[in-house]
Amino acid sequence: MRRSRALWTAAILGYVFLYLPLVVVVIYSFNNSVMNAQWVGFTLDWYRKLFANEEMLTAAGNSLLIGLLASFFSTVLGTMAGFAMYRYRLRVLPLLVVAPIAIPEILMGVSLLIFFVTINLTLGLISIVLAHIAFCIGFVALVVNARLAGMDESLVEAARDLGASPLQAFRLVTLPLIMPGVIAGALMAFTLSIDDFVITFFTAGTDTMTLPIKIYTMVKVTVTPEVNAVSTLLMLLTLVLIVIASKLSPGVLRGEAGGG
Amino acid sequence: MKSGRLSKWLISGPPLVYLLVLFAIPTLIMVVASFRFPGEFGGLAPLTFEDETGRHFDVTWENYARFFSDWLYTQLFVKSLAYAALTTVLCLVIAYPLGLLLARSPKGRRELLVLLVILPFWSNFLIRVYAWMIILGPNSVFVAALNAALGALSLGPVTLLYTPFAVVVGLVYVHLPFMVLPLYANLEKHDPTLLDAAQDLGANAWQRFWRVTFPLSLPGVFAGSALVFIPAFGIFAIPDILGGTGGIMIGNVIKQQFLDTRDWPFGSVLSMVLTVMAVGLAGLAAWFARRERL
Amino acid sequence: MLRKLLGVLLLVSLPALAKEDVLHLYNWNQYIAPETVERFEKACGCKVKQSYYGDNEELLAKLSAGAKGYDVMVPTSNYVLGMAKAGWLQPLDKSKLPNLKNIMPAYMNTEFDPGNKYSVPYAYTITMIGYNEQKMKELGITVDSWAVIFDPKILEKIKGKVTVLDSPTELMAAALKYLGYSVNDRDPKHWEEAKKVILKAKPYWAAFKATGYIEALAAGNIWVAHGYSNDIFQANLGAQQAKQPFHIKHAMPKEGAVLALDAMVVHKNAPRPDLAFQFINFMLEGQNSADLTNMIGSGNPNSAAMAYIKPEIKAMSAIFPDEATAKKLEMLKDMNAQQRRLLNKIWTEIKAK
Repeated sequence: MRRSRALWTAAILGYVFLYLPLVVVVIYSFNNSVMNAQWVGFTLDWYRKLFANEEMLTAAGNSLLIGLLASFFSTVLGTMAGFAMYRYRLRVLPLLVVAPIAIPEILMGVSLLIFFVTINLTLGLISIVLAHIAFCIGFVALVVNARLAGMDESLVEAARDLGASPLQAFRLVTLPLIMPGVIAGALMAFTLSIDDFVITFFTAGTDTMTLPIKIYTMVKVTVTPEVNAVSTLLMLLTLVLIVIASKLSPGVLRGEAGGG
Repeated sequence: MKSGRLSKWLISGPPLVYLLVLFAIPTLIMVVASFRFPGEFGGLAPLTFEDETGRHFDVTWENYARFFSDWLYTQLFVKSLAYAALTTVLCLVIAYPLGLLLARSPKGRRELLVLLVILPFWSNFLIRVYAWMIILGPNSVFVAALNAALGALSLGPVTLLYTPFAVVVGLVYVHLPFMVLPLYANLEKHDPTLLDAAQDLGANAWQRFWRVTFPLSLPGVFAGSALVFIPAFGIFAIPDILGGTGGIMIGNVIKQQFLDTRDWPFGSVLSMVLTVMAVGLAGLAAWFARRERL
Repeated sequence: MLRKLLGVLLLVSLPALAKEDVLHLYNWNQYIAPETVERFEKACGCKVKQSYYGDNEELLAKLSAGAKGYDVMVPTSNYVLGMAKAGWLQPLDKSKLPNLKNIMPAYMNTEFDPGNKYSVPYAYTITMIGYNEQKMKELGITVDSWAVIFDPKILEKIKGKVTVLDSPTELMAAALKYLGYSVNDRDPKHWEEAKKVILKAKPYWAAFKATGYIEALAAGNIWVAHGYSNDIFQANLGAQQAKQPFHIKHAMPKEGAVLALDAMVVHKNAPRPDLAFQFINFMLEGQNSADLTNMIGSGNPNSAAMAYIKPEIKAMSAIFPDEATAKKLEMLKDMNAQQRRLLNKIWTEIKAK
């Protein structure tokens, strides 16, 4: 593989840029101060406090669960939408898919709350997941659509010629080819979901606390390093989960045929 | 062909229905709201009112009139557009090498590198932005070093926090993965033999990039740009936290309408204008893209 | 896969199926001491489920859109009038609140809720100025007036080291007080004057900060902040913990300031009004009320709580103002739709210039 020195340096610098704040976040989770302002001293107290903080842990768990559910369903629906946009050139679908990305979150949050109250849906986990799916679909759809652009149709035609139904052709030929796009979309959807505050704030009921809600409302006072601790752990946990999942179904991430 | 029709609706149906029910209908409520009056203590005034002649719709054009009659809001739209455009360009420049590195990595390492790109964004948004406050703040090692270097060149010390610079850094940072991942998804499928062929024909590295790689990656570029520009256009959190006194953007104004001012109709008007502009620009770009390919 | 998902969903909804006594409290984050919550849970044999909002407006927006399920909420009292008119509150059953007598008369019977029909005082904050004592001494600036954030002559010396609240009502109120008007002055001409004062001072300010100024003060990045008394208290705690060479002090401007009295209210469709009243009565007890003050330095309208509040906090005149100062404090009245629009227009102009 060709790899020029300049390209490599630029990419490494990119990673440095991405990780600089993260390094600060992790380091400050050991900071012996109630605020995220300057370094005072080393302590494990915040991690200790975190493990005793049932509310924070439940919130983190909820966020993870919602993230997994929302990203799963929005990836499925978004892949379908991306494929449909590419293949069938429907007029209304691109609009419906891009508009949720453009609409200000606060408007979407308020409108969904009004909608859920009107149809008498109890606010809770389900309402949050439904809301998250709505704004994540667009991200997946656009990435899948971009991946499909310029795809070699002859492969699909060959499969059809060999007797595959449209569904089989999709599952066995198209899907593996677009898998990196699908995975990219899923990752984006998950990221959007676990960090969403505005829409979640409006569509959450009394019984479901998510991590962003807990943290953003802390902002009014101080954001203690306990938040750094829970963020660090959540990141690590998610990474571990994904590594485990990829070991259990090897190759699915690479889009090898037969995955899924 | 019948099965063709069926599969068309099987594939486009579910997302279409989902978005119609859970997006179009709720949003319609707010579109109607843009024609209503604000409630005395918040929310919306009742949709209808009774008088001697019967039930009427209590609606008005006044909210839209307010927007179009006041230059102030249009200025803020333009400002936000400029910030969003700058963010998109910077994201593209930084994300492209990352995308290339990811796409050209050997299969085993690739997934890990992709995960490493997105991993920081699974920590809480606020914490990451606070981290930038520490990095760009007056007490940071980084700023001290920068000012020392500037001092050596006999340039004055700079404040980085609470400035447009800080806002742009924040905007680029939070949107970067949404440019990297679409680019990667597209670059990954590029056929390396094309580049080999180009090299055989005498093209140097820059020509190979500009004439082969970049044009092939345009769909990814457009997708990434859309996924950065559109959200960045309406964002409010970054200017709030990292921005100085001049940091306001249209996203902040919209948020205020729903919270401080409790003027939902006007907030809806601004949101509609924002959405139409964003979707319109995206549609324009897509139209250009299709023309290019033909 | 589907079966696994259903299983997870069932597991998550299981707690809801279990019939438990639960009080739903919708409050500001970190606005009740964890010990207090634990003590109440033991006293009532129930669970307290807390949800949070970051600002009154967020609470109002949610209620306006129809959210329900909350028992007790803690808005700032000037919003109680509007909330009652909007039909979101139920009248308090005074027979269940014998501890109401503990509240100091000065905080009862406000114009927002005559006769305390709907609300009971919880805690109060005063919007004032927090400053870095050492730096201000070095510069020879006495911090006792709103001039510190509005007078360009003083601002010159502290350029880029001042933050003001990112709240139209609060900043306007400060400017109006500086000009000698009431915080509730709605005269557009006076608002224009206030706007001019703000625009003249704006170039010297670092940022509009509703949050984050606590950290900035404690780190010494900012020397003067327009902020809430309990936030300034926290800033000082943070500075001491970081072993900073300076203290963060409160300054009550001599022209007067805004008093924000937060109150407990019960939602009209509260699922458990019985628990709600039990909770409110519990919070009116001296010890329980004092817990919050000891935790964050909030003002306390409860006379029975005085015995339990730490002496060093009781001594702070910024948190417990004397009578003369108390006369200069005003509570912000809520505005009608027209006034809110005008204020927002002025605010956007201030921010955009």
